[in-house]
Amino acid sequence: MTITDRTITAPEETLALPAGPAIAHRPLGVFTRPQGSEGWRSWLFTVDHKRIGIMYGAAALFFFLVGGAEALFIRLQLATPNGSVIGAGTYNGVFTMHGVTMVFLVIMPMAAAFANYLLPLQVGARDVAFPRLNAFSFWCFLAGGMLLTSSILVGGWFQNAPDGGWFAYAPNTGLLFSPSKGIDFYAVGLQILGIASLVSAINLIVTVLNMRTPGMSFFRMPVLTWMLLITQFLLLFALPVITVALFLLMFDRLWDANFFNVEAGADPLLWQHLFWIFGHPEVYILILPAFGIVSEIIPTFSRKPLFGYHFMVASGIAIGFMGWGVWAHHMFTSGVGPLSVAAFSVSTMFIAVPTGVKILNWLATMYRGRLRFTTPMLYAVGVVSMFTIGGLSGVTHSIAPSDTQQTDTYYIVAHFHYVIFGGALLGLFGGFYYWWPKAFGYKLNEGWGKASFWVMLIGFNFTFGPMHILGLQGMSRRIATYRADEGFALWNMVATISSFVIALGVIMFFWNVYVSTRNWRRAGRPDVGPDPWDARGLEWMTASPVPEHNFDEDIEVDRLDHFWHRKYGKDENGRIVRAAPTSEIAHDGSNTNVHLPSPSYWPIVLGGGILLVGYGIIYNLWLAAAGLVFLVASIYGWILEPADDPDAGGHHDDHGDDHGDPDSNGGPSGNGELATADEPAETEEATVG
Amino acid sequence: MSKRLKALVWLTSLLITAGTVVLIVVSIVVTDDHPLSTLSPVGRQGRDIAELINPIFIVAGVVFFLVQGAVLALWWRYRVAGSDSGDGEFGYYDDDEFPEQTHGNNRLEIAWTIVPTVLLAVISVFTLVALFALDDVKASDEDVVVTVIGQQWWWEYQYHLDGNTDSPPDFVTANELVIPVGVDIALDIKSRDVIHSFWIPKLNGKRDAVPGRSHDWVIQADEPGRFRGQCTEFCGLSHGYMKMVAVALPTAEFAQWRDNQITPADIPQEGTPAGDGWATFSQQCANCHVINGVTSAANRGGDPDSAPDGWDIYGEFNGPSAGTYTDELVAGAAPNLTHLMTRGTFAGSAFDLYLNAGDHVPYLNLADQATLNRSELEAWIYNAPERKPADADDLRGMPARTGLSPEDIDDVVAFLSTLD
Repeated sequence: MTITDRTITAPEETLALPAGPAIAHRPLGVFTRPQGSEGWRSWLFTVDHKRIGIMYGAAALFFFLVGGAEALFIRLQLATPNGSVIGAGTYNGVFTMHGVTMVFLVIMPMAAAFANYLLPLQVGARDVAFPRLNAFSFWCFLAGGMLLTSSILVGGWFQNAPDGGWFAYAPNTGLLFSPSKGIDFYAVGLQILGIASLVSAINLIVTVLNMRTPGMSFFRMPVLTWMLLITQFLLLFALPVITVALFLLMFDRLWDANFFNVEAGADPLLWQHLFWIFGHPEVYILILPAFGIVSEIIPTFSRKPLFGYHFMVASGIAIGFMGWGVWAHHMFTSGVGPLSVAAFSVSTMFIAVPTGVKILNWLATMYRGRLRFTTPMLYAVGVVSMFTIGGLSGVTHSIAPSDTQQTDTYYIVAHFHYVIFGGALLGLFGGFYYWWPKAFGYKLNEGWGKASFWVMLIGFNFTFGPMHILGLQGMSRRIATYRADEGFALWNMVATISSFVIALGVIMFFWNVYVSTRNWRRAGRPDVGPDPWDARGLEWMTASPVPEHNFDEDIEVDRLDHFWHRKYGKDENGRIVRAAPTSEIAHDGSNTNVHLPSPSYWPIVLGGGILLVGYGIIYNLWLAAAGLVFLVASIYGWILEPADDPDAGGHHDDHGDDHGDPDSNGGPSGNGELATADEPAETEEATVG
Repeated sequence: MSKRLKALVWLTSLLITAGTVVLIVVSIVVTDDHPLSTLSPVGRQGRDIAELINPIFIVAGVVFFLVQGAVLALWWRYRVAGSDSGDGEFGYYDDDEFPEQTHGNNRLEIAWTIVPTVLLAVISVFTLVALFALDDVKASDEDVVVTVIGQQWWWEYQYHLDGNTDSPPDFVTANELVIPVGVDIALDIKSRDVIHSFWIPKLNGKRDAVPGRSHDWVIQADEPGRFRGQCTEFCGLSHGYMKMVAVALPTAEFAQWRDNQITPADIPQEGTPAGDGWATFSQQCANCHVINGVTSAANRGGDPDSAPDGWDIYGEFNGPSAGTYTDELVAGAAPNLTHLMTRGTFAGSAFDLYLNAGDHVPYLNLADQATLNRSELEAWIYNAPERKPADADDLRGMPARTGLSPEDIDDVVAFLSTLD
């Protein structure tokens, strides 16, 4: 705790922002906080959950291009028998990086983008519980992502990329069998990403638990909020497990520990258990946010409330719990013993039940609805349809004896792409289209959106559909090529051609973003309005793009879908009629009298320190030591930083306050009465946050 | 187009699509002739698995058509036209009509929780029965037990004709696992370095080879034939090229094959091409490759019963680091070549040893030099890492021998050709 000396002018009777000169006396070595909300600097130092969400989304889309390019190289290598486009060594790096990138750097941060942007809005909060930590989560994620991705380039093209598969089974990842730096990048990079996700998970859990607007009880929260909350709990408990595993692996490789050294008595199955205890909940970490998004989109474009809200929430919670009891279904052939196999086989089968409940509830929501197939709706229904295929193939390999034929074949590759691409990614893309106007103030073009959807969907099905056949015909995963007389040529060629159709669909999405932005600017940036889809959640109850302070005033929620019920009521005949125009209900963002946390230098600086430590661990411990000093110093900077800056403009001063009552809560207002307008007094304030 | 006509066109095209999908699937299953296919098992275990999963595939197929049909039916029935820009008075809708606002139905929810639960409970009973039956892999004592050892990137088979895996093997071979037809053969699956997975899809599911562990498995073939396999646990650089073949022979032929395998090889006469090839082989190859009766004689002053350091005459490494995966072991382990010419493939079954031999591969001492895949074999001896990715610098995989002249290689091939 530190004391900052400074002078403020006391609030006068009016709540107008004081304009008087402020003289700040600051102790040596303490930086003021950055100011301003314009320009690139304001993005680097922002603690605004919405900007952080947008940065997560942008970073995820960048990594999506990287991971997608890797996927195309995989398909080129496998297009023909005895393929030699990239060769076995590079191929192993490419498929490993494709998996790691898509899981940790695309789907997870995309979900984080929606979680950051929408969670506070959906529960009616002004920001997350710990805004600076939130910014740190992002920069830490970016540091981990950059470290991991840089492995493609350092020391030559794919010379030091991780090449042990995303699952990195010991002992193949030991120094003896993987002598390049690749596995070090994997172990260190994923640990950094783990820190980012863990910090973010705690932050978002606290936000949901503590910062809901009055009246927002748990069963008034939107299903997306619920699914994201469950996801954060899964992250909270799953990440420590993988972190332990990665820590052991790192010690094995860098400091000759023997955790996975068979010669010294280790059992390599230890790694498999640790990895999959994380790895299976991870699957639900990937899919639950998309389930939440679908549960928002389908009701809006069916003009009906979500069917079976409580069952949707409960099935999400059930999936969250059951997800912990199925990990060894990844190890049916590893030799865990028949009793374990039996138990995990049965538990895996029954996890299909809550998932099926979700599918049926979405269909029931559409039943007798008025369905408008806008782009987001196409994606949402695409998820229902495609995820079902992935779910059904999932049931077939929960049958353990049959899994001994299917596991590590292309049948599995087909299965999880139907789940992760057909489920998670389509859902997240639907989310992009759905919340784009909320985040940026204009909609993406519907024509390009629909065209892009259909191209992606067709490409997707012709890429991954044939892989079911290939797998059952005996094509193994992770093989760099296959013999001509094995009969895999036809469907591999189909898959390769179709993968480029997916790429075309993705390009059309980016083109759509460009065209829609350009057209909107040319048209003089017309206002899309707070509620362009006639939707239901609280996020639609404020202006688009969302003002920095989210809502002009706290919303008193009285039921589920509060906003919709403010818009619509029933007339005497029971017919649904408009109760009030949106413009009367939604906030216009004009309230400037809201105190918000100031931007901060330290989250990004701390992220940089972690990046240095990461490279240092891999290459040179002196660099790691320097990075550690840097890191500790920035933690001190973080702690010593004043809670706000008296010179800051906008919302970031500490003069106004949320409720218009200067004495109602913390901050300097408690001291306000000591000061008079004529005689500025020194006040003391403890920094927080 | 009238609404009815439109519906008819929709329905017809849907039925055609669904029919095409079913047709493709059926034709794939019926006309299956893929060497690694799981769809047309030839062994008892593979058949048991197929019989368990095939009805489940059908159930899954029915659910698939039900759900996709429901999606399309809802789409067709309840879609409404509207504005694409969302700029209309009612946004994306043409009017402000709202359907009935149903919030749920507890009975329905309970029903669609219980029905799949019951369905899965039934499936789980069949699964558990099959699972424990398949796990019962104890073969009778008289049966052959084969210790299967995976390593980067090939398979070694140690035959224990008395069923006792603790005693030295009767003979050692590589890549092609020969079994008598119709008998359950017990396998004892191990690894010398990283995790591999042994998989002959037509005979049985896969089982991992984990270093430090020993996994029981069993295979059986209903009829004679060659059944391809592929290592299915990612095992590093050359994983894709780590293949194997299971060969089922009629009982009498198997006995003949077995007797031949036990016989040691002879050192060829000096002065012949084979003799010159042996001279080259003993300098360049014998550090890693064992040929019973030949390499041991060379390395131990003509005493055929002694073996190179750390190796017994069966090619089993029992030196200071036996059972571990030190550098030395990774370097030392190479296929036993005593009866190389009786195998149909080489280099981890990545390449055929004979061309156009069809099913007529010479397991029984019938090597036909005319069909020998000479160019591939020569290329392999000359520069193996160029043919099959390897990390020979780190002692993993066969190093190149680019110092050999074409004549040297001809001689080595001549020598290898005597190993029948």
